[in-house]
Amino acid sequence: MSARRTLLVAAVVAYPFVDRALGLQTVHAVSDGMIYVLLALGLNIVVGYAGLLDLGYAAFFAIGAYAMGLLNSPVVGSPLYGHPWSFWLCIWVAAAVSALLGLVIGAPTLRVRGDYLAIITLGFGEIIPVAIRNLGDITIEIGGWRPIERLNLTGGENGVNPVGRPYLPGVPFETDPVPWYFLILVIGALSLWAMSRLRDSRLGRAWMAIREDETAADCTGVNPISTKLLAFALGAWFSGFAGSVYAAKLQAITPGAFEFQVSIMLLCMVVLGGAGSLGGVILGGMLITLFDRVVLTQTTSFVRAVGRATGFPALAAVDLTLWRWFFFGLGLVVVMLVRPQGLAGRRVGPVAVPDDDDEVALADAAPAPRVEAIPAWLRERARPDGAPTPAALLEVRGLSKAFGGVVALSEVGLVIPPGAIVGLIGPNGAGKTTFFNVVTGLLRPDTGRIAFAGASLVGLRPNAIVARGIARTFQSIRLFPQLTALDNVLVGQHCRLTAGVAGNVFRPPAVVAEERRARERARDLLAFVGLGTKEAEAARNLAYGDQRRLEIARALATEPRLLLLDEPSAGMNPRETETLTELIGLLRRELGLAVLLIEHHMEVVMGISDRITVLDHGVRIAEGPPREIQRDPTVIEAYLGSGYEQDVAVTDR
Amino acid sequence: MLDLADVHTYYGNIRALRGVSLSVKPGEIVTLIGANGAGKTTTLRTIIGTVRPRRGTVAFDGHRLDTLATDRIVRLGIAQSPEGRRIFPRMTVMENLELGAFARRDRESIAPDLERVLTLFPRLRERLAQKGGTLSGGEQQMLAIGRALMAKPALLLLDEPSMGLSPILVETIFRIVEDINRQGTTILLVEQNARMALRVAHRGYVIQTGRIVLHDAAAELLRSDLVRKTYLGEK
Repeated sequence: MSARRTLLVAAVVAYPFVDRALGLQTVHAVSDGMIYVLLALGLNIVVGYAGLLDLGYAAFFAIGAYAMGLLNSPVVGSPLYGHPWSFWLCIWVAAAVSALLGLVIGAPTLRVRGDYLAIITLGFGEIIPVAIRNLGDITIEIGGWRPIERLNLTGGENGVNPVGRPYLPGVPFETDPVPWYFLILVIGALSLWAMSRLRDSRLGRAWMAIREDETAADCTGVNPISTKLLAFALGAWFSGFAGSVYAAKLQAITPGAFEFQVSIMLLCMVVLGGAGSLGGVILGGMLITLFDRVVLTQTTSFVRAVGRATGFPALAAVDLTLWRWFFFGLGLVVVMLVRPQGLAGRRVGPVAVPDDDDEVALADAAPAPRVEAIPAWLRERARPDGAPTPAALLEVRGLSKAFGGVVALSEVGLVIPPGAIVGLIGPNGAGKTTFFNVVTGLLRPDTGRIAFAGASLVGLRPNAIVARGIARTFQSIRLFPQLTALDNVLVGQHCRLTAGVAGNVFRPPAVVAEERRARERARDLLAFVGLGTKEAEAARNLAYGDQRRLEIARALATEPRLLLLDEPSAGMNPRETETLTELIGLLRRELGLAVLLIEHHMEVVMGISDRITVLDHGVRIAEGPPREIQRDPTVIEAYLGSGYEQDVAVTDR
Repeated sequence: MLDLADVHTYYGNIRALRGVSLSVKPGEIVTLIGANGAGKTTTLRTIIGTVRPRRGTVAFDGHRLDTLATDRIVRLGIAQSPEGRRIFPRMTVMENLELGAFARRDRESIAPDLERVLTLFPRLRERLAQKGGTLSGGEQQMLAIGRALMAKPALLLLDEPSMGLSPILVETIFRIVEDINRQGTTILLVEQNARMALRVAHRGYVIQTGRIVLHDAAAELLRSDLVRKTYLGEK
């Protein structure tokens, strides 16, 4: 444990005693602050990690609080009247119920993003307090028969009062705020521990990949549906803890405590401190609660005292707490202007850097790929496993796709034998990228069949297709810009790892070993593509050529049998292009990897393709080996152009 | 016409340009070639005003550009076709092209220019009513160039116009570059395809890690050892 951390722990433990010795009486406020911090940390999973804007998060706080209130209240009318459950059981039930509702609210929002998602969560945040208010007097009447008459489930507007306290022998929860402080501290610290472990795990990386680029994450093997649901459920789980402790500490709950402004305040804590940063969220949460509960009230009494002493009645009657939203708003505006990433948020370098790598020696700009650098485990995986090799790894027949009236693909067929490099060329707008998008599951074909190693791919989600063994890169690079180079590649390993939530939090040896192996593999791949020294660099800060190679490394990390490259050499100079060509050749020669290549640089396509398919206006106009294709008059007319012969002469040299 | 004198541009603490000086005379095609990350795009950004030089001056026809806002620079007669196809994805192809002419005052000559652009890129004519974002990558590239032409600039900055285009279109693009130039537009051309760029250009500059290391007539550069080895990929 570092000295700084020891000091921090000592300060946190000593604080309530110091407070008492000095007579400050701030322990209550600080304990409440910690509850809000825990809530904000839960929200941080949803907003900061998974990037899903949630404007109704207080609903989960309410659900946690009411789960505790209803199960642990001796009040007349509660469903368990006379048989309250123990606090220690109720906090788990509350967390589980919240998590379940997290799934329920998460489900309808899965297909929407941004503004739409925010509106749905806003609605949910409004529904819950209203429902709680109205469930205080339930009567169900079916043709004169009343199975339920005037049932008071939630206490309506009056809420639940009292709520049972926790019981530990000899601990005075009734009279003393200090045990509460430590109870909340322990729950908070355990939650923080679990969250930090989740962040640094396969799941944390998947959340952030979704946040950065959902489509790219899907095409890298991350299932966006289950990943987002998990973010909602886990975020809600921790707010279930917070809500249930809040109810027990306050001894009473009313629906008014869970209104819209609570959601907004929690969001402010996350944004102010720095979304995605645990320390930042803690800081933001503490600042806002303490400002509200301590600074504003103390300043108010101070100003009043000054007013009385100086005889200004206006000052003597001041109440600054009425201005809290004004101060919150002002503070937030100032922080966003000065530090848009939040107080403790990580600054991820300048935005526009792909063109300015410092002191790049030209020789290093495009290191030649070396056979020795091929990771041994990739070689191992590439070794034939004795299963009969199918004649066609990928077999596409009669594939058609139209967008409205525009036919993008019409009856296209294409076969890739195992270990072959197939070029896909054609004029701009011919449908090449659409073909990739259909094969990788981003688009559903109108008709046609796609079989990979004998099994149909039609209808599978992109991440399922990645798991089958097809990886791709994108024409306009789609990395996860804020993640490091290493994390980008690790996301590629996601579909080959198995650890779940519990595994990632408790880290049994199997999970530790799996994670270590994934990191080794990712580093191997970075070294292989020549990015070994740049693993800690954010992807967005890499030079253009480096980004292209990183995308290939990420695709290789999914352990594919077929690699789809969409204009990999676009924007590369001849020297880099040459290196890239060597790299692709090496992958096939050494690893038996099959490659489908969209490319406009003829020296690349003609040099390494076994066969070439030419598309024009969505129709296959030619297919054959490079020599035939480059002399095919149809292809020259539609695509290559008459000036091409000069260039053939150049490349043939 | 355009003069950069000892321009230093930074991104945060990273020095992207370390004293770039170059000039473009009226009626020329000048090309700037160099590896990825050498500072080509940064040079264009500094000219058009989306980043500011920390030191040095950028002058255009007697105006200092390095203190002007980008929209003012465009009104002086400079247009850029940005790298990476920065088109307006939710607007139609037609609207994208019309926006290119946004700053022009000679309203009556816009229609013939639109016709000229659509003749240069027949593909765009087919797609006039489509949203920019639904175009293929190469078509977006054509749209970005077309939009820059619609500004009828005195000086046109082209950032990798051939990127992502089919061989036949690459040829066409360079032919168009020569055509536009013959019709009186001065051009500063940034290209990875150094061979083609040097074929159409009058003069060329070679940039390495933020410095101009070589400057000569384009035909001479094509013969230079450094250029042939490093940028033309010859052995």
